[in-house]
Amino acid sequence: MIRASEISIVQSSRAAWIAGLVGLLLLLALLAAPYWAGRADMRLLSEIYLYLALACLWNILAGYAGLVSVGQHAYVGLGGYMLFALAMFGGINPLVAIPLAGLIGGVASMLVAVLIFRLSGAYFAIGTWVVAETFRLSFAQVSALGGGSGTSLPAGIVTAIGDGRDGREAIIYWGSLGIAVLVLAAIFLLLRSRQGPALKAIRDNELAARSLGIDIWRSKFIIYVGASTLTAMVGAAIFLQKLRISPDAAFSVNDWTAFVIFIVVIGGIGTLEGPIIGTIVFFLLRETLADLGPSYQLILGLVAIVVMLRAPQGLWGFVRSHYRIELFPLTPRAIDSQSKKDI
Amino acid sequence: MNYMPKPKSTALTRRAMLKTGAAALAMPALLHHTRAYAQSPTIKIGHVSPRTGPLAGFAEADDYVLEGIRAAFAGGIENNGRRFEVEIISRDSQSNPNRAAEVAADLILGDEVDIIVAASTPDTTNPVADQAEINEVPCITTDCPWQPYFFGRNGNPTQPFKYTYHFFWGLEDVIAAFLDLWSQQGVAKVVGGLFPNDADGNAWGDPELGFPPALEANGFDLVDLGRYQPLSDDFSSHISAFRDAGCEIVTGNMIPPDFGTFWAQSAQQGFKPKIVSIGKALLFPSAIESLGSRGNGLTSEIWWTPDHPFGSSLTGQSARELAEGYTAATGRPWTQPIGFKHALFEVVNNVLTRAADLDDTDSILEAIRQTRMPSMVGPVDWSTGPVANVSKTPLVAGQWQQDAAGKFTLVVTSNATAPDIPVTGELMLLG
Repeated sequence: MIRASEISIVQSSRAAWIAGLVGLLLLLALLAAPYWAGRADMRLLSEIYLYLALACLWNILAGYAGLVSVGQHAYVGLGGYMLFALAMFGGINPLVAIPLAGLIGGVASMLVAVLIFRLSGAYFAIGTWVVAETFRLSFAQVSALGGGSGTSLPAGIVTAIGDGRDGREAIIYWGSLGIAVLVLAAIFLLLRSRQGPALKAIRDNELAARSLGIDIWRSKFIIYVGASTLTAMVGAAIFLQKLRISPDAAFSVNDWTAFVIFIVVIGGIGTLEGPIIGTIVFFLLRETLADLGPSYQLILGLVAIVVMLRAPQGLWGFVRSHYRIELFPLTPRAIDSQSKKDI
Repeated sequence: MNYMPKPKSTALTRRAMLKTGAAALAMPALLHHTRAYAQSPTIKIGHVSPRTGPLAGFAEADDYVLEGIRAAFAGGIENNGRRFEVEIISRDSQSNPNRAAEVAADLILGDEVDIIVAASTPDTTNPVADQAEINEVPCITTDCPWQPYFFGRNGNPTQPFKYTYHFFWGLEDVIAAFLDLWSQQGVAKVVGGLFPNDADGNAWGDPELGFPPALEANGFDLVDLGRYQPLSDDFSSHISAFRDAGCEIVTGNMIPPDFGTFWAQSAQQGFKPKIVSIGKALLFPSAIESLGSRGNGLTSEIWWTPDHPFGSSLTGQSARELAEGYTAATGRPWTQPIGFKHALFEVVNNVLTRAADLDDTDSILEAIRQTRMPSMVGPVDWSTGPVANVSKTPLVAGQWQQDAAGKFTLVVTSNATAPDIPVTGELMLLG
């Protein structure tokens, strides 16, 4: 017989401590990449960081807040276009323009949220897609930004970022890493805060969460605006690397939504580890198979189908259900205060 | 005993680390340059092309063309008495400008190519050229009118690009060729314009550099309803405006599915122009064949045919030999991009053999600027271009004509813009 006073609730575990330590060492190594990695490796790593950030942000929307948006490319594109507009017409340093683009994306997402939060379920998903299409068609009419043709970032703006080519590339690399760390840290802290259990309650059963007194609309609104702000920042960073923007590239549903959903679904939706695993798997597949042409897309589809059939909770969900480990300490467990053993 | 760690500790440390990273930013990054061919002399050529996706038609002959080029490069090239191996690394843009930028960066940074080439529409040439310009690698592109290439990249004629060069024709050429075509049979000078809101459509419909001012200057009336969104499924308003204005000529730049829609709806709604001259949509035999007998008599700009009086500076093949080789190898009809894709590598070969020092990027750029060579698609010479980064190739216009057996042939019907290229047939008006 166990009395309540003998029980403690903890979120941490030995695995989480080890993961934290390894993560820290990895982060140190990645921070030093400009001193040991080649230029192509740094560029690939930057792309991985930005995809990781997009995947984590989509995961918090769909996996935690129940906002299954298939239109987050609206904010990727908006962020990219805002970077170009601020840098070309405002003369603002692109590194400053990236957070500004995020803020503009955040304001836009507030207006969008008021509209599309009237929809739910499948209608919400379609609504977000329609919003993204509207963004694409609107930017195709802005002739100052190249209209439907698109435009290139003048070389002078890009070269002004840093001293010489290597300095510039290092700054862009650190910027991308910084965004990924910011996104991961923000999500981790959010889930450890009071909002965390609320979000998990919403994820598991919206009606039950409402009956517990959680303000669902407000929680969702905060998550949607926060995720969209950061998504717009990621979009600005992506197009700083691409150097060229056009409506089809900026608001590409394939590049910025379909691949991101693929990453989250195969990695494990509703977990913080899932998008990380998914990003690694996606880039392994892409780097080895992308030159196969259409067969590459078929293989991606096949992988998604197999994972969904064999491990519906994604690769990480599969691992967790078999070994009960967690790298980010987010699930409360009850332990015996004396023996420190799980009850 | 409190077994619980401070929840925020890990995250705070991460942030602290980020600050350390920012401090490290002040330190100059180390330079590491390794030229792959310093030991074994190999020149690497990067090639970006839309092998898959909606633009794949432009690249369908890539395998055939590259096979011929690789055979020609098999013994390497000679530069200043030294022999260099040549390696061509070809990557697929998937018809996606985002992917084009990514594979171009990968070729430049990862494979460390010495020169990068790309072809087929602004969606391929522009992202590749942008990456080359910022990463300081020589770049040669083709198969995209020069205005969308140059002005579409915010090019400034007084401050040209340093690393990126292009050869193809321009809007002034296609305008002149079409005007010549339209003036042959005495049709009414009322033209309906179909310009989409994309890189090509905006350039063709540009009020200063495109069709509108040129048509006005030559006494044509243009009916232009503004830029339509690509992949439209309804052209009724265009068709009724053209019919009301009495248009006997229709022109524009369209993607094949849009033209298919427009042309089918024109038939349904009884609009019967006498001449239909459309850029891009009517390039490929497969697009014409998909229209059936309605494809007969459509007119288009012509950049290259087997009848062009040009040959390869690399393999000695004539235009006809190159085109017939493709048909023999694949059983498919020749397409216009074949000549330009071949010429792209001819130019690279010519530049690499002339460069004073292949280890020096500036010397390769100098060789590009001094190019003066005959090629499969006509002379290439950047000193005579409209802007420093562009060399123009000849353009004519002609018509798809169906023979009794139902086979379509592209015949040159108007060559006022390039008299060297023989006329191979006479323009027939559409019934």
